[in-house]
This record gives sequence, structure tokens and C-alpha cells, in this order.
Amino acid sequence: MNKQVELKNKRIIASKHVKLGQKNRMDQTYTDINDIFFKAEQTPNFLTGSEVIREAIKRCSVGTSVAYPITPQSEAAALIGEIYAEGYLDEYFRGESEFAVMGQCAGAAFGGHRVFTTTAGPGTLRAMENFPMWAGARLPIQVCVTCRGVNSPLSIQPDTLEMYYLLETGMLVWHAETAQDLFDFIMKGFIVAEQPDVHVPIAVCCDGFFVTHTKDTVDLPPLDLTLTPYDPYQNPQPVMDMETSPIRMMRDPFVMKSNYISYATHASWQQEIKAAVERSRKHTIPLLDGLIDEYNADRELLIVASGTAVSQSREAIRLLEEEGIKVGLVKIKTIRPFPTEEIRRVTKHAKHIFVPEFNVVGWLAREIKAIIPDNERVYVGPHVCGGMTMPSEVIVEQIKIQLGMETTPLRM
Amino acid sequence: MSQYQVLPGPEAFLPPAAASMGNVLPDPGEAHIEGRIVPEDEAYEVFARKVLGAKVPTIFPGPLVLWKWNDHVAEKAKAIRELANEAPMRIIPMADYRPKYPKIEAAVEINPNHPNLTIWHNKIDVCIFIGVHCHQANLSLKIIRGGTNCYTMAMCAMAGHEDACLSFRDADLGKIRKLIDAVKKLKSEGVESQAIPFKQFKLSRAGLVDQSAN
Amino acid sequence: MSKEKIQICEDLADVMPPEYQELVATATYGNQDRGWKDIGSSKELIEQHSLCAGCPESIAFRYILASLPAPEDTVFVGSTGCTSLVFPHVAVHNIHSLFGNQNAIASGLKRTLKSRFPDVEKDVVVLAGDGATVDIGLDMTMQSWFRLEKFTTICFDNELYANTGGQESGLMQKGFVAKMAPKGKNFEKVRLAEIAREAGCAYVAVLTVSKPNRVEQAIKNAIYVAREVGPSFVQLYTPCILEIGKQSMEGLDEMKDSETIGGRFVQKEYITDEAQKLLDSIKEETKARKKAAKEAKKSVNA
Ligand SMILES: Cc1ncc(C[n+]2csc(CCOP(=O)(O)OP(=O)(O)O)c2C)c(N)n1
Ligand code: SF4
Ligand SMILES: [Mg+2]
Repeated sequence: MNKQVELKNKRIIASKHVKLGQKNRMDQTYTDINDIFFKAEQTPNFLTGSEVIREAIKRCSVGTSVAYPITPQSEAAALIGEIYAEGYLDEYFRGESEFAVMGQCAGAAFGGHRVFTTTAGPGTLRAMENFPMWAGARLPIQVCVTCRGVNSPLSIQPDTLEMYYLLETGMLVWHAETAQDLFDFIMKGFIVAEQPDVHVPIAVCCDGFFVTHTKDTVDLPPLDLTLTPYDPYQNPQPVMDMETSPIRMMRDPFVMKSNYISYATHASWQQEIKAAVERSRKHTIPLLDGLIDEYNADRELLIVASGTAVSQSREAIRLLEEEGIKVGLVKIKTIRPFPTEEIRRVTKHAKHIFVPEFNVVGWLAREIKAIIPDNERVYVGPHVCGGMTMPSEVIVEQIKIQLGMETTPLRM
Repeated sequence: MSQYQVLPGPEAFLPPAAASMGNVLPDPGEAHIEGRIVPEDEAYEVFARKVLGAKVPTIFPGPLVLWKWNDHVAEKAKAIRELANEAPMRIIPMADYRPKYPKIEAAVEINPNHPNLTIWHNKIDVCIFIGVHCHQANLSLKIIRGGTNCYTMAMCAMAGHEDACLSFRDADLGKIRKLIDAVKKLKSEGVESQAIPFKQFKLSRAGLVDQSAN
Repeated sequence: MSKEKIQICEDLADVMPPEYQELVATATYGNQDRGWKDIGSSKELIEQHSLCAGCPESIAFRYILASLPAPEDTVFVGSTGCTSLVFPHVAVHNIHSLFGNQNAIASGLKRTLKSRFPDVEKDVVVLAGDGATVDIGLDMTMQSWFRLEKFTTICFDNELYANTGGQESGLMQKGFVAKMAPKGKNFEKVRLAEIAREAGCAYVAVLTVSKPNRVEQAIKNAIYVAREVGPSFVQLYTPCILEIGKQSMEGLDEMKDSETIGGRFVQKEYITDEAQKLLDSIKEETKARKKAAKEAKKSVNA
């Protein structure tokens, strides 16, 4: 299971869309993703995460976006409304709840549009029944999840617990560390998710507020380039537009009801969704330059993290370095598919593995523990939740405690 | 780590999807044979050998080539018929994907929800899928590998199928024609078809056409 | 898809199962005057299904499919329930997705088809049970009407949750004893037609499926209005004979009883002025077209 894919400097297969090179109504040229990221000049911009989402969507040739307010994604969702009004998207409206919104997104995707939406925390959980439906129906919808708490009492603060719920929905789940990641992941996410051999939904996650509401410098490709459109006929299932055969077609037929039963179909269907997620590796590795990033990963002390926990770890590593303690870092970019072989390889020499997380359960640590030998090496934490920050000093302290060193305990 | 081999079954009560075993699809210009990536040309010859060596080699054309929903399909259908005549191979259609109620006629059709029935009924030992949507093709290929000993092949118009024992990708008319050429070439080298003699069935609006008279 | 494209490739035609050959040869795709009278003389768009013998839903399906003005450009959205046993066998594209979200799916679908095919009228038709339409899905049903989404909603009202074994639903009659209403339902049947009218539907019809010509007219009206004016809604009584203890032959009588004066399903329509104007003009056009066709035939014969 979850084998690493070797790709030897390969690029994702270039788009063959008939509109490649043509202009859209906004005077943007439909361009292959390789050219947008690896050929075109990138210019630095100082933007909030919400603005970064807008800038990405301007360059993604999106058909439909459906919006619903929930902090911390409301601003981004409204900004997409503004660019819809300018003419960048074909359809945009406010739905009545996240459950309905995800259904509206599904309808648009069944009909052949590229679809983008955003949600967070309680919205993600309200919408939950839709996500495995999207995956089972092979709809390559992108939802940008700006993570926030899902607990009671209500919290609007950053917390990555909701990602845990997404892991077995059959979606691709990527985790952005920075605004730059967010921009890249949104654009690249469409292309990977829409590959005919993949063709499942994708959740591009980022940590709410830390990424959405802070300003950062982000390199953007020129605005006169946009992704080649989604081709609904490059699809592992017939698109529901009555323009393709077979016409006697229910996209998600009842194969288990009453008089007609095929459990083998159901089982194979589920396996096929998992297989589709696996196939995304081949396309993701060249676009994201691997499913993980590693920095001095051969060291005996290793931090493995995703999202903004990576940024906090970078600073912690700098602080430890000042005291002569050398720690390596592994950043996980894709949680689904999980970089199993990559993690096994980079953790081979590690004696202590620290997994800092912004959630109460430590799900990333669980994921890692489940796949590596001698998993008592994994230290589950430090983790914070409910909107707490994770000062780099906390990571430093935990590492020192683990090493049996003197520390001055940090207090709240 | 050793490569998972995609071989004819019966493999398991529920065999794994080959992609989950680490098998990767071929790139343009390539094909795969039993999980091994090869130059596409190598696969044509293996295809022809499998077909000519089989007792009941069968083509399963799917909705994308059965229905004349765009201008290019008719030519593909013609080439498929030519392949069937040349080899010879039986043609059993997958007209659509509905869970047909109350049952399918296993002698004359195949359905992605229980393709094994058609394989068993007709004792098909080698088959090729052409024009079936990838999702439904993958379901079929896996169920066949799970429960039958049929050697499965796929001429896929998109990225190919790891769950087939042999798969091409980016299928077009030219590639279907290359299948015919590969069969012709082997025959010219003296390889003879081992197919059990048969007559292609015919269906009309009224049902099976009795061909015993002709 | 134009009727010309609903064809089998000649080279493979004689291995295609008879029902598909028949579909191509005699189904009424592309005939704008198609209707319930074609049943029996042309291939229907529905194959075998696994509803209970005598279930009025099956005849309702047949009438509706025969009455669609343009099945070659129609996409259905269904929901979980007895209807979902039929949809795989229907020869138009259709989507199930989840229980109750049918009008949300249809909203996204209709807008997408409109944007992808600006020059072709693609009809989107929702067909779901009463549980799906009123209880679990009422929010999305009504919100799509508020937003004036241009598609037709059809509710198969069998006054209970049939597929899960006969539980109470919002459209069940007051006092009816059912599963989950062990002492009898204690509130009135929800007045869905009036809700539809107030929520923005330009055309609303309530009727049983006892008379095919009426069903045909209501379905056609609803689809025409959805194309040009706004949302439309048709509520059809399709009694669940299994759960109300009737024999397979008794569905028709049950429907007839319920549509007589004082019954729950006396036929009614709510039509906005704009919708009425449209329907009147279509009526005139159809009349003129049929007259012209008749005359042309006459002159050929003469
Ligand atoms: C979220 C969810 N809740 C409950 C169900 C169970 N369920 C399936 S069908 C059904 C009842 C359908 O009733 P109705 O819409 O009236 O259709 P009918 O079967 O009566 O035609 C229910 C409750 C489900 N599938 N999904
Ligand atoms: S349970 Fe009722 S509604 Fe469902 S098929 Fe049977 S009779 Fe019809
Ligand atoms: Mg009901």
C-alpha cells in the first residue's frame, strides 16, 4: 500500500485542451500549468490569504463557485463574488447552507463545470455527507478549507481538527503552510484532481487566520494567463449533459437496493476511489516538487509537521540551533494521499520524532505512528487547540524535555 | 519492494486495486503488461499473441464506441468489427452501465456490476475492453480478476488501467488499427488462432436471430 | 443531444441488445408533439424496474417520460426513495447524489448547462418522493423556488416514507397511524402547493396519476414555464399500495377516490399571469402547427 512513485524529473503531462493558447472574455490566454508555473515570470505581491485565494481563482478558469459565509473564509468567498461580477467566472451565488452549497457544487460538476468553493469548521461538518458523495461520483470539485474549531462552545479560532474528518472521504487533502502554498495548491490542485485517472474532489486546507488574515509576500504569475478550462469529456464517467453516450445513464446507480444486489460492485467502487487518490501521486510529485519537503532530515532529532505548524517549527529549529541542538524538519504537503514511503525513508535515522499540531487529538502523529517502525520514536506533540498559538518556544521546550535537558517551563 | 503483478485470477475474494499496490499508469507512448511499463509497440505483439492463443478471445465494446454520439465513433466501430473478423474474436457489448433488472443475458451482453457472469458463461479466457468509461472499466476489470481466470486487456482512450493485465492508453482509431495489424503480422508468421470455432451472434429488435439457416 | 446522435454505430448494431435497437428505432426523441398516447405504439424511455407490482409510481414514471417535451435534452435529478429503483433504467441522464438535496443539485446543474449550452434549451427536472421534497429537503426545495431557479420539481406524493418501510411523512394525512406515528399523525398534511405558490413557483399543479392526459398537460406546462418564466412544481398522488394495505389492482381506485370532490387530491393549479400568457401562446402555436400539418397532409393526398 501507498508506495512511493519514482518520477525522475518528469513533468505533469501537458494540457491538450482545444482552447490552449486562445483568449477568454477577460483577455487572458489559456495556458498549460507547466508554463504558468515553470516558464512565466513570477512577481512578488504583498497580500492577505483571502486575497491570495481571489488571485488564484482569477487564473483558474472556474465555471461555478457557490458561497456561504463562515469565518474565516467569508472574505475570500465574497472576493470571489467580486471577480465574478467582473466576469472571471460563469456562475456564482450564495447557497442556503453548507450542505446545500456542496450539493449545488455537485450539480455544477455533474453538468461539466470546474467548481470551486470555500468553507471552514462547522461548515465543513455541516457539509460532510457531500464529500464522500463527491468522491464516489468522481466529481473533481475543489473546496478550500480555512480550518477553524469545530468544538462546542462555538469557536471561530484556528484549529485543524476538521481535517481529521476529511481524511477518509475519498478526497485529496492538501495542507498549505503559507499564502504562497495556498496560491500554488489551489491552481495545481485543479489540474491534479481533474486528471481523468484521478478525477476526485480535492480539499486544499490552510490554517484559518494564520494564513487567511495575515499579509505575506506571494509570487504570482501574470494575470493575463489562466489555466486551460476543465474538459468534462476527459472524465472517467459520462458527464450529465445529454451530449454523451450512454444516454441510459444514472451516474450513481443503485446497485444495492432491494431486488438488485451487487456488493462486489460497491466494494470495487470504494477501492477505485482510493485507487484514484493513489494515482494522484504521479501528477502531484512533479507539480509540488514532491509530497514532502525535507530540511536536514537525516538528523537524529526530527520535526514532522504540516500547515503553519511547519513555520513555527522552522523558528524553533533556529532557536535550538543557537544552543547547539541540531534538528531536521519534514514538511508534509499532501495528507491524502499520505506520503507513506517518503516518511518511512526520511525517518529512518531519526531517534526522536516530534509532531507539533494545532488540534487536540494529534491526528498527524497518529498517521505517522501507523506507518513507521519503532513508532515509540514519535512524540505526539506539542499540540495546542481552540485557537491557541503555538510559540516556537513551546516546541523548543518539548524537545528539550524529551532529551532530558533543563528548561524554564513556559506558562500561559 | 517487489512489483505487484496483475495476472489473471481468480485472485481473491476481494483483490486489491493495483494502484493501491503501487502500480503506476504508463505515460504517453507506453503501455503496461501485467504491471510492467513497456514501450507501446511491445504491447501490440503481446496482445496479438494472447488473442491468437486463446480459446474464446472476446472484445467488449463499451458505450463510447457502440453509440454514434460523435462523428469519429463510427470509424472506430468499423475497426473493431474488422479486428473481430480478422482474429477472430467474439464481440459482446457493454451497452451501458445500469444494474440491469432482473438479470443480464450473459451469452450476449456484459455489465460492469457483475462482468464475471459473462466471463464464466462464455468461458472467455482473453478479453479486451474498448470504449468503456474508465470508472466502469476499472470496476469490471477488478471483479473479473477477483473471480475468473480471464486475461484482461484494455484499449483506453485516457490514461489506461492498472487493473487490466495489459493496458494501452490514449486510444484512437490508429491504435485500434494497430491491433489489427499486430494480429495480421503474427498470422503471416504462421501463428494460428486457437479460437474454438463460433458464429458471431446477431440480435434484432425481436431478439436473437437464428443463423442456422445460413 | 440531437435525435440524430441517438444512434448505434452500424458496424456494431447487430450485437446490441434488442431494447437498445428498439430505443433507436421507435422512441420519440426529437418529436415535440410526443405524449402519453405514444405509449404502446413507440418505445418507452423506461425499461424494467423493481417497484412493487401495481405501484402507481411506475405508471406515473411512464406518463412523465412520455410527456417530456425534449427528452433528448433533459436531465433528471432524483433522490433516495422508491423512485431511485427506477432511475437506472431511464433513458435520459440522471443523478441521484443524496437524500433530500435534489433541488440543490438541480440548481447547480441547471445553471451550468445554461452556461455551457447557451443556445440549447436543456430541461432539468427534479423527481423525488414526499419525504425528500418536504421533510429532509424542504429547505433546499423552497430556497430553489425563492431564488427562482428555472427548473421543474415533481413530487411523487405517496404520503409516507415508502422505501424505508412506511414511516410518517409531512405529507401524510392527519390521524393516519404509521410507523413512527404510533398514535396517529397529529398535524395536518403540509400544504405544499400553497407553499410553492408563495415561494415563487410560476406554475403549480396538484393531481393524481389516474388520467394520463392530465398528467401530460401538467408536466408539459411545468416544463414550458420553467424554461421561460420561473420555477414550477407538480405534486402527483402515487399511493403506496404496499404500505396502505391495497392490492396491486387497487391503486387506480384509490387515486380516483382521492380526486373526487372533498378529496385530498382534487385537481388544482396555481398559475401566474405571466405563465398563463406563455401557456396560452404555446397552445395557439401548437394548434396552428397541427392544423398546418394536417392541411399539408391533405394536399399531398389530394
Ligand atoms: C440522510 C439520510 N437519511 C435517511 C435516509 C433513509 N431513507 C432512504 S429513503 C427514505 C424515505 C424516502 O421517502 P420518500 O422521499 O417519501 O420516497 P418514497 O420512498 O416514499 O417514494 C429514507 C428516510 C437516507 N437514505 N439518507
Ligand atoms: S413500497 Fe410503495 S411506493 Fe414503493 S414501490 Fe412498493 S408500492 Fe410503490
Ligand atoms: Mg413517499
